[in-house]
Amino acid sequence: MPNIVETNNLIKVYGKEVKNEVLHGINLEIKKGEFSSIIGPSGSGKSTLLNLLGALDKPTDGNIYINGSHINELSDDQLALFRNKNIGFVFQFHHLLPEFTSLENVLIPNWIDGGNSKNQNKKRAMELLNLVGLEGFENKLVTKISGGQKQRVAIARSLMNQPDIILADEPTGNLDTETSTKIYNLLRDINKELNTTFIIVTHDRHIASKTDRVIEIIDGNIDKDYKNDPNDEFHNFENVAPEYCFLCGQNVVK
Amino acid sequence: MWFEFKVAWRFLKSNKTQTLLILLGIIVGVTVQIFLGSLISGLQTDLINQTVGSSPHVTVLPENQAPRPLVINEDKYSRIITFTGNEGGINRWQEIENYLNDQSEVTAVSPTINGSGFAVRGQKNLPIVIRGVDINKADGIYEITNNIITGQSSIGGNNIIIGSELAKELELQPNDTIKITTSGGISDRFIVSGIFDLGSKQLNNSWIFMSIRRASTLFNFSDQISNIEIQIEDVFASDQIADQIMARFNQINAESWQRNNQQLLTALQSQSSSSLIIQIFVIIAVTLGIASVLAVSVVQKSRQIGILKAMGTKRKRVGIIFLIQGAILGLTGSLLGALSGIGLSQLFVTFTRDQTGDPLFPITVDPTFIIISIVIATSAGMIAASIPARNSAKLNPIEVIHNA
Repeated sequence: MPNIVETNNLIKVYGKEVKNEVLHGINLEIKKGEFSSIIGPSGSGKSTLLNLLGALDKPTDGNIYINGSHINELSDDQLALFRNKNIGFVFQFHHLLPEFTSLENVLIPNWIDGGNSKNQNKKRAMELLNLVGLEGFENKLVTKISGGQKQRVAIARSLMNQPDIILADEPTGNLDTETSTKIYNLLRDINKELNTTFIIVTHDRHIASKTDRVIEIIDGNIDKDYKNDPNDEFHNFENVAPEYCFLCGQNVVK
Repeated sequence: MWFEFKVAWRFLKSNKTQTLLILLGIIVGVTVQIFLGSLISGLQTDLINQTVGSSPHVTVLPENQAPRPLVINEDKYSRIITFTGNEGGINRWQEIENYLNDQSEVTAVSPTINGSGFAVRGQKNLPIVIRGVDINKADGIYEITNNIITGQSSIGGNNIIIGSELAKELELQPNDTIKITTSGGISDRFIVSGIFDLGSKQLNNSWIFMSIRRASTLFNFSDQISNIEIQIEDVFASDQIADQIMARFNQINAESWQRNNQQLLTALQSQSSSSLIIQIFVIIAVTLGIASVLAVSVVQKSRQIGILKAMGTKRKRVGIIFLIQGAILGLTGSLLGALSGIGLSQLFVTFTRDQTGDPLFPITVDPTFIIISIVIATSAGMIAASIPARNSAKLNPIEVIHNA
């Protein structure tokens, strides 16, 4: 399988006078269709890495190739275009536009791409809403639906422009355990069905343990990077990054 | 553009109170602007109409109309100067009249012989102004025929027409006779054929019209006349036309109403300027209002802006969303403001009436002025939106997204 994401020696420094190096040379390769997670404590640099992978920010040094494009070289407007066409975002706080309905929120990436209210676009948005289990909610304002439903709308939105990668930043961070599991299963189904690459930043060891690959970042370096497979000793979620175990000892839905 | 418009519209709709308040501000501003503008221009049109409507715009006079020294006797103790006043008239006036009739901008030409005298009836003896005219030509300026209240406007032979106030004072009816004595001492009897009301107490009190030939014999003017009265198409061209006539003919003087009414014109000018200044300040206030509301809106919508940017909206397009909001506010507000300004003007005309029930003066709502107001308010809205638009374009999506 070809690499859809490739970084070499990725360095990010914040601040001009007081320099603060947040990432110290990340080398990462992610294959197409991979369902991987990034874990790490607050301030470890995992959000910074996600911003770089999501073309929201530019590295201080090093290179990022996404889907073959060298995105360091792109201007702000070219980056915007790149994000619109290639990357889907799912955020912790869902980040829907409260002024619009569920269907319209799903359509927004298409509108930004120059799409209009043509029926075929609407039809695709409706299909995506059905995919995330929200048939019948399309004309509701997103302020009128529950947290789990909002996150489903956000997932449908991230799929609208058929991106190659979906970056999810704490997608279940705001949800209860049961809803979290449902959202996880949804992401997993989409990954299997559409072969979309997923990179999920999470605190939730339980979620991380269900991904194919766990990348653990500590102090701006990749500390551990391992495959999750049934024969692997890490397959048991209790063995995945025990320091982030919030639910150990509790009865957790597997 | 469709996408930016849609987002702009939803942003405005989602903050209903804020949007309605600023709309109300724009409506009030534009209402004041249009009402004030129409009021002032109506007032001025009315004043100018009163000044020049039924009077000559340009008057051609003999050159030496002003008194000039005739005889100067000087000895070592005293100096005696004898003046001549209204001596003489315009010679070869038909030539001037023909020339004027050929000018496209001239709408009425009326050669006139003027004189003063007294109307005598019984014990009463009233001072009058005698005007010898060709009634068809004088109608072009004074509309005498249309303003005859009793009798007819015929002034052939010894027939004259007189003002309504004068008729009342002397208790004259059509077909009555009246004795007129000129200031030169010549007397004759005339028949009143009609009584006019020219809308001015002064004229109704003292004016009588007779034929120019009769006036010529009465005042012994032979071939001359006193002056030629002219009305023109564009009343504000009177100076140029007067200069043009003076350049063309010798031994005459042409006076324009503009030169004779400098003070009135200066007053009107300063009235227009102060009205303009008020309107400018109203627009500045409206612009600042729109700018502050949109500046607040950028802060309120910073999360949405960040999301739109993360999903690939270019900086410029985010700015356009706010420009469109400014344009929508300016356009809607000024359209409604225009309607309410027109309504207010109509109300004013309806409720401010004089004793006779006529409006004090007509308010003219000029469509061009309204269109200009709307264009200015809309551009002001967009200019006001440009600063918030720039701020919104600068917003970094990362900061917004991670600080939910």
